[in-house]
Amino acid sequence: MISKDEIRHLGWLSRLELTDSELDRYASQIDEIIRYFDKLDTISLTGSEPARSIKKVSELRNDNIHVFEGDPLEFSKNRKDGFVKGPRMV
Amino acid sequence: MPNHLYHLTADEVASGIKNRDFSAQEYISQILERIEKVDVKINAFIAVDKQGAVEKACSIDKRIRDGDRTGGLSGVAVGIKDNICTKDLKTTCASKMLEGFIPPYDATVIKKLKESDAIIVGKLNLDEFAMGSTTEFSRYGPTRNPWNINYVAGGSSGGSAASVAALECAISLGSDTGGSVRCPASFCSVVGLKPTYGCVSRSGLISYSNSLEQIGSVGKTVSDVVMIMNAIAGTDENDQTTKTTRPIATATTPNTVSLDRIPKYGLHQNKRNIRVGLVKELVEGADPAVSKCIYSAVDLFEGSDCNCEDTSMKSIQYALASYYTIAMAEASSNLARYDNIRYGFDSSPEGYEWNTYFAKVRNNFGEEAKRRIIIGSYVLSAGYYGKYYLKAQKAREMIKQEIKSLFEKYDVLIAPTMPILPFKLGEKINDPLKMYQIDIDTVVANLAGVPAISIPVGFSNCLPVGLQIMANEMEEQTLFDVASTFERIVDIHRSPEI
Amino acid sequence: MVEVKIGLEIHCQLTGLQSKLFCSCQCDYRGKEPNTNICPICSGLPGTLPLLNQRAVDFASMISLALGCSIPDNVMFYRKNYFYPDLPKNFQITQYNAYGITSIGVEGKVDYGVKSTKIRRVQLEEDPGRLIYENASFYTLIDYNRAGVSLVEIVTEPDFAEPKDVRMFLNKIISIIEHLGVCETRLDGSVRCDANVSLEGGKRVEIKNVGSFRDVEKALGYEIARQKTMSVRDIEIRSETRHWDDARKITKQSRAKEEEEDYRYFPEPDIPTILLGNDFLSLLKVRMPELPDERKIRFLREYNLSDHVSQVLIDNKDLADFFESAVKIYPSSPNEIANWIVSDLLGFIDDSKKEEGSLFSGLRIEAKHMAELVRMIDQNIINRNIAKMILSQITKTGEMPSYVLDKMNTSIIDNKAIISEAIESIFESEKSAVKDAKQNPNAANFLLGKVMQLTGGRADPKIALNLIKTKLTIM
Repeated sequence: MISKDEIRHLGWLSRLELTDSELDRYASQIDEIIRYFDKLDTISLTGSEPARSIKKVSELRNDNIHVFEGDPLEFSKNRKDGFVKGPRMV
Repeated sequence: MPNHLYHLTADEVASGIKNRDFSAQEYISQILERIEKVDVKINAFIAVDKQGAVEKACSIDKRIRDGDRTGGLSGVAVGIKDNICTKDLKTTCASKMLEGFIPPYDATVIKKLKESDAIIVGKLNLDEFAMGSTTEFSRYGPTRNPWNINYVAGGSSGGSAASVAALECAISLGSDTGGSVRCPASFCSVVGLKPTYGCVSRSGLISYSNSLEQIGSVGKTVSDVVMIMNAIAGTDENDQTTKTTRPIATATTPNTVSLDRIPKYGLHQNKRNIRVGLVKELVEGADPAVSKCIYSAVDLFEGSDCNCEDTSMKSIQYALASYYTIAMAEASSNLARYDNIRYGFDSSPEGYEWNTYFAKVRNNFGEEAKRRIIIGSYVLSAGYYGKYYLKAQKAREMIKQEIKSLFEKYDVLIAPTMPILPFKLGEKINDPLKMYQIDIDTVVANLAGVPAISIPVGFSNCLPVGLQIMANEMEEQTLFDVASTFERIVDIHRSPEI
Repeated sequence: MVEVKIGLEIHCQLTGLQSKLFCSCQCDYRGKEPNTNICPICSGLPGTLPLLNQRAVDFASMISLALGCSIPDNVMFYRKNYFYPDLPKNFQITQYNAYGITSIGVEGKVDYGVKSTKIRRVQLEEDPGRLIYENASFYTLIDYNRAGVSLVEIVTEPDFAEPKDVRMFLNKIISIIEHLGVCETRLDGSVRCDANVSLEGGKRVEIKNVGSFRDVEKALGYEIARQKTMSVRDIEIRSETRHWDDARKITKQSRAKEEEEDYRYFPEPDIPTILLGNDFLSLLKVRMPELPDERKIRFLREYNLSDHVSQVLIDNKDLADFFESAVKIYPSSPNEIANWIVSDLLGFIDDSKKEEGSLFSGLRIEAKHMAELVRMIDQNIINRNIAKMILSQITKTGEMPSYVLDKMNTSIIDNKAIISEAIESIFESEKSAVKDAKQNPNAANFLLGKVMQLTGGRADPKIALNLIKTKLTIM
């Protein structure tokens, strides 16, 4: 059974601070779902690698400059002198 | 001029406008009126772009008057799922985390639709970040099934299917990660396609699970879907996972041919000698009301030069676990960027320590999103990566191999799209695992990367049933041929009374 | 003697590219207004996909080859998931080798001097943005101009035992990188180095934030001393990350993290597996530029230079290039040219400039000047003393030696620097007279006479005499 502490830690890794009532509600649901994933246990990890799409180096993007027209962060409300304002680090 | 232009298929609209049977403005004003009348009951739209639609219609009409050429989808009203970026139009993913986001660029498919002169009428409702099967996880309220508004429309592209079924637009785009276009298409009795992975560009699709999702097309008929695909399919330099070659089997050796930047699909409704495999596990696992419909349809097909045979897919037992492991893992990473600093909702970070700020703002994800992020982090975490994620990828490979070998025997595989009939709003919302299990029929195609389409095949208790047809990788043409043949045979063309 | 183990993690920006690693924004972000060198991809906007730069793969492969690494048939990218305000996607696209080899180079070896070190891996990854601490207790300012620039990370085995070995190795790496042409190493922040230090059997301490390579040696020296002191006093050395504080010249503890980071690596789904293959590799090998070791061997063989002179030249690619350009113009005396560069020209190069800008910044001398100068010496048009004076003039004015000579022969020399050169020369050759002059001030006139002779009678005698007298008093 996945513990509340484990869920809290996973929340931290994902920067989700769960309330106690959320932890209560999610704990059993998440546990049930992860138990369901245990269906995969009987699968062996030996054998061929899962296939991925493959590309040759020559099919990749050419090293050319293309300037984006406009400001991608134009609609961001937290700007100061061109910088983006973020929370403090200290 | 027919009374209700909003009944027309995409083909009928485009040719009608080009032939000047009616103008784009006349058409679009009827569409907008229709939306205003019915969407209060359906809630398919998050936002309607009246001004933009009318402007586009006017410009199309002018060009036609001037004798200029216009695109293949001239004037056709299209709705866009709100997880596809539209330049200068709010794109929210039905989430607070993107409340104020106005993309400074168009998704590739949007650029292509605009080039074809389609008219984008608005953004459609979805489960938050495309995670869900009923569109009940939207912060804008659920989308209701036009056939019975107390029932779910399916998800996550509920708005895409419901809007087409309710005649609010001729065609729509959705996204399909584990069935999110086919499920609502089935529940709303319209046609929904998930293309081969890599056949349509994902550039501009806000990621939920990148290795599984594709932008899907919804229409009233197979011909609608073919028209959309002719506009949007093709290699894209802005998406390095789009395919650049297509396998073609010659008489002697298999080969590949370079994929046209824009492949041309046709519509051949009289395909003969179709070899059909009916996937036993999926039909038998469905509700009797559903399988009854499927079998009736199969009877009709068999009468028409089609060889239908029961077949089995042993690896299906792993499909759901594999799908959700991979999807949630990728989601937990894809959703990490939402920290409200560059885009999001109004909330100044000043004064806050950064970890505290991130946790504070990210608490505004909905419940289902949070659950998936946590489980996704779990299956990727050190110690569990081998047990879950790697095994899920192995299972995926097994499924891919098994389906490939089946396509050596069969042209297409069929199954129900959904194992159950549409259900009442709120029925499964408190039991996540039960909700996930309704995806059993659809996840296979995403895991294998093969194209799959859902066509309406009957009703049970006045609720729609959909038939799912799957073909081999990049065999969309086969899929369209078979689907349109079947469509002609079952001959269901109805619209709900709203 | 306690055994010290040092390992290095070097990050090298591929400034030789035009665009960034995953988008077409300009790679060169220096000096630009904040957030003006960005696009939706590198600023992490929703819906964007990474578009891998072909040439970055080429450059990273070249680095791997040059460091003696094996290059796998396929390479893959992975996501490293963690949160930080300078990370636009809150994950970094990088490479990872835990589930099979997927990074661009593994198991290499680099010789430096008489020693060598093993290279654990070379990987290609993206640079994050930059944080600026203005009103640090209220907010942080973020600039994404640098986000997405291509980085090659080079990780060594913990083979180093002394800080000075590290310094030598780093010089070698710089030379290799310069010869490959993939990075302009003198650009600010283009090459960064973190180090891991441990005492025999002890825990590893990571040192970050070391500004220049010079500081790496200092930081290591400090950290080793710190650990040894703790060890002697039986204080436990914790495994941690420390920052180099350049102002106080110490390493200090980073803020302790509340919980351990788990990066949850998994393959980047948006980038396909990249097939390298034999064709790619053989083409790469053919197109590899000449590396420092090869070049040195060639210098010894082709130009008959001494080992020491060759080493000095190739340690700084600018010097080696200058040398070869000069020899191309005047091929008869490569040894003479080399010696002039190493003994005399190097003296004009400001030591501090060695770490910024080009080696020759501020100097107006070009290869053609050097070539001409040596030709004039060979043809006995000038002697070495005059040549030294001419060289000094050239570095300031960029005039051709024959022109400078001409002016010298006809005009009064009142330039203190030139006269000083002449005086230097005379002091060298007339050592006994100098000794005399120290005892007997009048003997200074003898020296003056020699200087006048050397300058063809053109030096200003008053200035010359003053300089001679000053020099005598300080000797």
